[in-house]
Amino acid sequence: MIELKSLTKVYPGGVKALDALDLEIRDGEFFALLGPSGCGKTTLLRTIAGLETATSGQVVIGSKDVTHVQPGARDVAMVFQDYALFPHMDVTDNISYPLRIKKVAKPARTAKAAEVGARLGLEGLMDRRPGQLSGGQQQRVALARVMATQAQAFLFDEPLSNLDARLRLEARTFLKKLQRELGVTTVFVTHDQAEALAMADRMAVMEAGHIRQIGTPAEVFQRPANTFVAGFIGSTPMNLLDGTVRGETLEVAGCKVPAPAAGLRDGEKIVYGVRPEYVTYSVEPVDGSIAGKVVLSESLGASHLVTLEAAGETVQVIVPEGDEPALGDEGYAVPRTDRALIYRDGELV
Amino acid sequence: MTRFVLGRIGFYTFVAVVLAFFSVPLLWLLTAPFTDTPTYRVKIPDFTVANFAAMWEHPYALGSLGNSLILAIGTAVIVVALAALAAYALSRVRMPGRDALLYTLLLLSSIITGTAAMVPLFQLAVTVGLIDSQFGLILIMTGGLLPAAIFMLKDFMDSTPKSYEESARVFGASPLQIVRHVVVPLVRPGLATIAVWAVANVWGNFLMPYLLLSDVEKQPAAVIMYTLYTEGGQANLRLLSTFGLLYSIPVVLMYLFVSKKYGFRFHGGIKA
Amino acid sequence: MALTRSQADEEAQGAPGHGAQAPRPGAARFATDAAGLGVGRAAAFVAPALILIAIFLVFPALWVILLGLSNYSLTGAAAANPEFVGLDYFAKALTDGRFGNSTWLTFQFVLGSAVIGQAVLGFILAKVLHGRIKRLVEGLVILAWILPSAVVSFLWVALLDRDSGTLNALLGIPGFAWLIDHPMLSIIIFNTWRGTAFSMMLYGAALGNVPPSHLESARLAGANAWQQLRDVIFPHIRGHILTNLLLISLWTFNDFSPFLLTAGGPDGKSEVLAVFVYKVALFGGELGYGAAVSTVILLINLVVAVFYLRMLRKR
Repeated sequence: MIELKSLTKVYPGGVKALDALDLEIRDGEFFALLGPSGCGKTTLLRTIAGLETATSGQVVIGSKDVTHVQPGARDVAMVFQDYALFPHMDVTDNISYPLRIKKVAKPARTAKAAEVGARLGLEGLMDRRPGQLSGGQQQRVALARVMATQAQAFLFDEPLSNLDARLRLEARTFLKKLQRELGVTTVFVTHDQAEALAMADRMAVMEAGHIRQIGTPAEVFQRPANTFVAGFIGSTPMNLLDGTVRGETLEVAGCKVPAPAAGLRDGEKIVYGVRPEYVTYSVEPVDGSIAGKVVLSESLGASHLVTLEAAGETVQVIVPEGDEPALGDEGYAVPRTDRALIYRDGELV
Repeated sequence: MTRFVLGRIGFYTFVAVVLAFFSVPLLWLLTAPFTDTPTYRVKIPDFTVANFAAMWEHPYALGSLGNSLILAIGTAVIVVALAALAAYALSRVRMPGRDALLYTLLLLSSIITGTAAMVPLFQLAVTVGLIDSQFGLILIMTGGLLPAAIFMLKDFMDSTPKSYEESARVFGASPLQIVRHVVVPLVRPGLATIAVWAVANVWGNFLMPYLLLSDVEKQPAAVIMYTLYTEGGQANLRLLSTFGLLYSIPVVLMYLFVSKKYGFRFHGGIKA
Repeated sequence: MALTRSQADEEAQGAPGHGAQAPRPGAARFATDAAGLGVGRAAAFVAPALILIAIFLVFPALWVILLGLSNYSLTGAAAANPEFVGLDYFAKALTDGRFGNSTWLTFQFVLGSAVIGQAVLGFILAKVLHGRIKRLVEGLVILAWILPSAVVSFLWVALLDRDSGTLNALLGIPGFAWLIDHPMLSIIIFNTWRGTAFSMMLYGAALGNVPPSHLESARLAGANAWQQLRDVIFPHIRGHILTNLLLISLWTFNDFSPFLLTAGGPDGKSEVLAVFVYKVALFGGELGYGAAVSTVILLINLVVAVFYLRMLRKR
C-alpha cells in the first residue's frame, strides 16, 4: 500500500507542482496517474520514489513513513521513460544490477537474470548491449530489471511512450497481464487517457498539482467528477452545453431535454454534459432532443463523429456506419438521459 | 553547367592548397632523419638508420623521452581523476556561483599557464622545494590544466542523461557506487579525450620544464630538443631531425589509437 | 524478499544521517541530485581540484600583482632587498615604447592568426569538406596541432630557411628571408597552421547540431548559400563561435612559441607580449618590471574575456 498525506512539492522559484495531495493506492493495484503535461504527475511519481523530496506532507509505503528515506531504501523499483538501461552493460548485467547492489553472489544473480529474462522472452538476447535491442526489447529488459528487485511497489514513468503506435497496443496488453500475474502494487504515469482507461485498476486524474478525480476507469469515464475530467477523458471529448433549469426539464441550445438529476433550483444556470457515444442521431424530431444542422462528419472507421450546430452550440454525436447524414442536413441529437450529467460551477451534481 | 564546373575546379584547388599548406612543413620530418647528412632541404632520403644509431649514443636523448613519459602520464592521471570528480559534482549538484567560478578559473588558466606566471611559479617552486623535482612540475602543470579539463568534462557530463544515475539510485546504489558503476563507464570517451589532451599538452610543454628543471637528467624531450638546436651554436640536424621524429611518434600513435577507439572529437560540443 | 526488507529497514534508519544538509522542519533531509551526492560530498569532490588550482594558479596570479609593485630582480641589491615601488613599474610599462610595440604586435598576432586565420579557416574546413577528402585533410590539420611545439617550430625554421628552405624552393625565390623580412607574417601563418585544428573540430561539432530541417526550409524559401549561413547557421552556432574565439584569442595572446621561431627578432619586430615578458624578466632579470607587465597582460586578457562573455550573454 502506498499512502500520500497532504503531500506538497514547491520547486525553488515558487512553482507548486503538488498541492496538498491525499492519495491511497491499495496492495496489488495497477494505478494510473493521468493528466496533461505539467500537471505534476511525474513529480508525484518521483516523490514516491524519493528522487524529489516533499516540501511538506508524508509518503507512506507499506506501513512505513518513508518521507525522509533515501530512494534506495524505500523498497520500490522504477522504470524510466527512456528506460535508463546502462549502455555499457549487457542484458544480464542490466537485469541483475539491483542484485549486485544487494551483494548477491554473481552466479545467483546471473541465474536470477536468466530466469526473469526467460519469463519476458529475452532468451538469446542476454549477451547483447541495450544499443543492439529494439525499443520493445529494451522495454522488456527494463521491466525485467524491475522484477529482479522483488520490490514491494513498481513505479513506471510513461512506460509506453517510447514505443511506436502498433507496438504500444501490444505492450499495453502485455503489461497489464504481467502486472496481474505478479500482483505487485504498480503506479504508472501517462498522459494518454486511453492507456489509463485500458490498463489501470484505478486512476487519479490530475491538473495543476491537484487530483481532480480518483476512481475506476468505468467511474471516471461514465461519471467525470468535474468538467476538466469530462473534457480530458474519452477519445472524443464530452459535449458540455450551457443550460438553464426549467422545472423538470432543462433548456439546452434552445431545446428542452429531460433533467438527469433531481434537486435543481428553477432558473439555475448549469452545464449539461453527455458523451457523443451516449447520443443518437435522428432525422425525425424526438421528444427531449436537440435540433441542429450537420456541419461536419469525421470517419472513425466503423462509425462517424457527426458535429451539429444548434443555436450557437456544437453537439457531437457518434453515428453508426451507413447512417451518417449529409452535410447541411437538419437533424436531432437524442441524449441518453441515464448517461447525461449536470455540472454546477464545474462540479458534478 | 559551367558554373558547376568552375565551382568544382575552385573547390579542388582550395583542397589542394589546404593539403599543401598542412603537409609541406611536415615533409622535412619524414625525410631528414633518413638522410646521411641532412640539410634544411627536403630531398629523397638515403634510407639510412645511421642517425638513429648516433642518437642512441647521445647521453640524454632517450632518457629525456622517458622523462616526458613520466611527466605526461603523471599529469594526465591526476588531471583526469581530479577533473572528473569536480566536473561530476559541478554538473549534478547546484552550487551557488558555479558558472562564475568555472569561467573565472578558465580565464585564469589560459592566461597564467603562459609566460605571465613564470616568475611567481619559479619563486613558489624554489620556496617550497619543488624546484628540480618532476613531481613538483607535475603538480604545477596539473594546476594549469585542471580548469579547462573541468570545463570540458562538465560540458560532457551535462549532456549525459540523469536517468541512469537515478535508476541506479532507486535500486539502492550509494553515490560512490553510482560513480563507479554508472558514471565512469558512461563518460569514458570524455575521460579519454581529456587524458589525450593533457598528455599532448605536457608532452609539448617547453617553458615550464625549461624553467623548473635544471638537472639535465630530469629534463623532458622538449627541453633536450631545444638544447640540440642551440648547443654549440650550430644546429645538429642529424640529431635534431631524428630526435624530433622519435619525439613526435608517441603523440601521433596516441591520437590514432584514441580516434580509432572513441572518435577524436568534441562530444556534445563546447558551448556556453 | 525477506533479505530485501530487512536491508531496506536498516538503511532507512540510517538514512536521515546520510544527508549532507542539516535537517530543517519540512525541508529535504537527503540529497536530491541524480546520484544522491549532496552538497557535502559534492564539495569533497571539488575540493582536491580547487586546492591544486588555488596553489598553482590563483596564488601565482595574485603574486604577480604583488611583485609588480616591487623592484624585485634576479641580481643586484634589489635581489636581496626588494623595495615597494608602488605603481612606478606600471607607469613605466605604459610609457615604454617597447611595451607599446609589443602590445600592437600581439594585437596583430591575435587578430591575424586566431580570429582570421584559425577561426575562419577552421570554419571553412568544417563546412565544405566531406567524405574521404575530409578525413585526409582533418588528419593533417590535427597532426599539425598535436605535434610538440619544439618540433613544429623547428620544422618551420627548416621550411622558411633562406637558402635551402622548402618554401623558397617551391616558390622559386631562393634567398628570400621570411623570418627576417616578414617576421610577423611568418609567425601569423605559422600559428594559423598550428592551431586551426581546434576551431575545425569545434565547428564540426557545432555544425552537426544545426537541425537539417531548418536548412531545408531556408533552401525551400530560396535562400542562397550566404543567406543560409547568415540566417540559419550563424544564429545556431553563435555560442560555439564566441566560446571558440574567446579560447583561441586567449591562447594566442599568451602563446610563447613565436620565441622558438624568431626569438622576438629581428630588432623586436616580432616581439609579442609573451616574448617581451620572458626577455624582461628572465633575460633582463627585472622580475618586478616583468611582473608589472604580466599584470597588464592579465588585465588585457580580462577585458578581452569580459567582452566575449558579454556578447555571449546578449541573446
